[in-house]
Amino acid sequence: MMSIGLFSHVRKIKFIALSLALGLSVNAQTQAAPSLEHHVLDQQGTSVSLQEFAGKVVYVDFWASWCGPCRKSFPWMNAMQAKYQQQGLEVVAINLDVDTALAHEFLSKLPGHFTLRFNPEGDVAQAFELQGMPSSFLFNRKGELVQTHMGFFTENTPAYEHEIQMLLQE
Amino acid sequence: MQLTPKQSIASALALASCSLLSQSASAADAIPANDDWKVDAAIMYYGEQDRVQATEAIGNVQKAFGDTSLLDMKIVVDSLTGASASGAVAQAESQTFTRPSGDGQYTVGAGETPLDDTFHDTRVQLSANWQEVLNQDWTGNVGVYGSSEFDYLSMGINAGLERSFNKNNTTLSLSGAFTNDVVDPVGGRPVAMSQMVLPGDYASDADYQAAFDQTRLAGDDTKQTTDIMFGVTQIINRNWLMQANYGLSSVSGYMTDPYKILSEVDSNGQTQAYRYENRPDSRLKQSVFLLTKGALDSGVVDFSYRYSTDDWDIQSHTLETHYRYYFSPSMYGQLHLRYYQQQAAEFYQPFLMSGDAIPEYASADYRIGDMTAYTIGLKFGQRLSGGHELSYRLEYYQQNPENNGTEIPGQLQNYDLFPAVKAIIAQVSYSF
Amino acid sequence: MTKAFYQPFAKAAVALVIASSLVGCSSLGVQPWEKDQLARADMAFNSEKLDLALDDHIYFSKEGTSGGRSLAGGGCGCN
Repeated sequence: MMSIGLFSHVRKIKFIALSLALGLSVNAQTQAAPSLEHHVLDQQGTSVSLQEFAGKVVYVDFWASWCGPCRKSFPWMNAMQAKYQQQGLEVVAINLDVDTALAHEFLSKLPGHFTLRFNPEGDVAQAFELQGMPSSFLFNRKGELVQTHMGFFTENTPAYEHEIQMLLQE
Repeated sequence: MQLTPKQSIASALALASCSLLSQSASAADAIPANDDWKVDAAIMYYGEQDRVQATEAIGNVQKAFGDTSLLDMKIVVDSLTGASASGAVAQAESQTFTRPSGDGQYTVGAGETPLDDTFHDTRVQLSANWQEVLNQDWTGNVGVYGSSEFDYLSMGINAGLERSFNKNNTTLSLSGAFTNDVVDPVGGRPVAMSQMVLPGDYASDADYQAAFDQTRLAGDDTKQTTDIMFGVTQIINRNWLMQANYGLSSVSGYMTDPYKILSEVDSNGQTQAYRYENRPDSRLKQSVFLLTKGALDSGVVDFSYRYSTDDWDIQSHTLETHYRYYFSPSMYGQLHLRYYQQQAAEFYQPFLMSGDAIPEYASADYRIGDMTAYTIGLKFGQRLSGGHELSYRLEYYQQNPENNGTEIPGQLQNYDLFPAVKAIIAQVSYSF
Repeated sequence: MTKAFYQPFAKAAVALVIASSLVGCSSLGVQPWEKDQLARADMAFNSEKLDLALDDHIYFSKEGTSGGRSLAGGGCGCN
């Protein structure tokens, strides 16, 4: 039992090291930076780490109050959080409004029943090398980035949901 | 003291209402029940002093299908009445002209600029455009267009592609359009440069009718227009963006105005005859357009410049600016200024001299002569609940035609051959 | 053990990203999340398209030149 556990642990380390190395070598800009190793603000303005979701499947979504497709993504993200919360999904929506008051105004009309975080400085978005708005980053239970989506398209939501299901089964 | 979520939202809302309007209406208003539809409607009145009056109504509907497709449909109905300059020059005596149909004449008083008031026309235009986001970088669109009035039918297609670069900071676009027009003027197209016949010159109606028919060509004629435009849109910084377009347009076919004439005068400025104008059957235009638009704390401003040149020798410069100021988040005022300067077509001449050989192409239509024009306008807009907007604008448009260097003979010096055209534009729009 | 093990990799990755982003994008423009002002409805090129269409029709009828504008680009840059 012990030897199997050690072997799989070593395999995991090798896999992670290889993927990081590949990420760095192939395209440092888009692969290496997104991670849960960042601090964002919570609703009270306190700095918290994204690592608090370690062990869960994390769907990180960057949004802003002025972004039309972001508005469309909220009902879907609410549905996903409700449906898969028990199985270990955590939807984390990071708001990038420079003026956080505008985000709260948005939320008062279209509430988000998932984890709400704020990054008005935009440094975490910069570290994630965002190419467009909205952008979502899917991390597996080990905190590895598995999937990136730029933009939100209602017609693609079945595919987005399938990706989440696959990771929840791991 | 730590704010609970409820308290922080309340204070945040208070902050939002005090903040300068830096927020798009789409996020600040309640989310509309069905935000897939967007309707814009406007009705406009255009009135020149003593001349043309037009009323135009537009309805535009946009429907989004999913997150990648957009259908845009537009209907325009406009109705024209009043008189416009025929191209003939004023004289010391009253003048009589034959109407384009050949049935009837109209008389112009001594010293008056001849205006032809024959036209009461209604035009209907329909267009539809489909826009599709092809992938992250590419967007395409296709459209059709058609317009119809009693003497003119126009149908066209257009298509475009946009490619964005650099995180959507730069967009390149290429678009093309092809239009086919059918011209079927009242009374038929006049024979180029032929003389206008008047019933008074003929013994009988039959003789007059025969002579009139001699000045007309049977059937209709067509005109094809092919346009290409290449554009770059670049975001400069958080508040400013700019656009630059290069356009090329090739027109071939019937471009003469069948209702415009020229006076043939002698060295004393006395009119000897009237001749129907004629324009070349091909025209190649190029234009360069530059625009910059900026988001201000309390408004929006834009500046644009367009330079156009063509092989008819018409060159123009257009400078335009809009400045919008928000008095409150739901009310704005906007100033519009436009300056236009045009150099005459090479075949433009205010009249013909009877001693000279009749040119192949000639037109006295001031609209292709030397001209400067000014527009000053004010618009007020109100944002209503549910994302609706009501706006009204009032503009003053003055055209100042100028002599293109032609020497004015004899009695014509007593008249203003290049009278200013002054118009008022009033419009009400509603969108929801 | 896991966090301490990954930290050097993460630190190197972040440093590399910062370095490459400094070297890389030096052209005009803004980051995707800095488009709040440009996303305003009144900043769209077609924000007053009926006015522009009516004006175009007037000037096309009364002057010798026409056209020039297009509606591509700008805006929120989303999707």
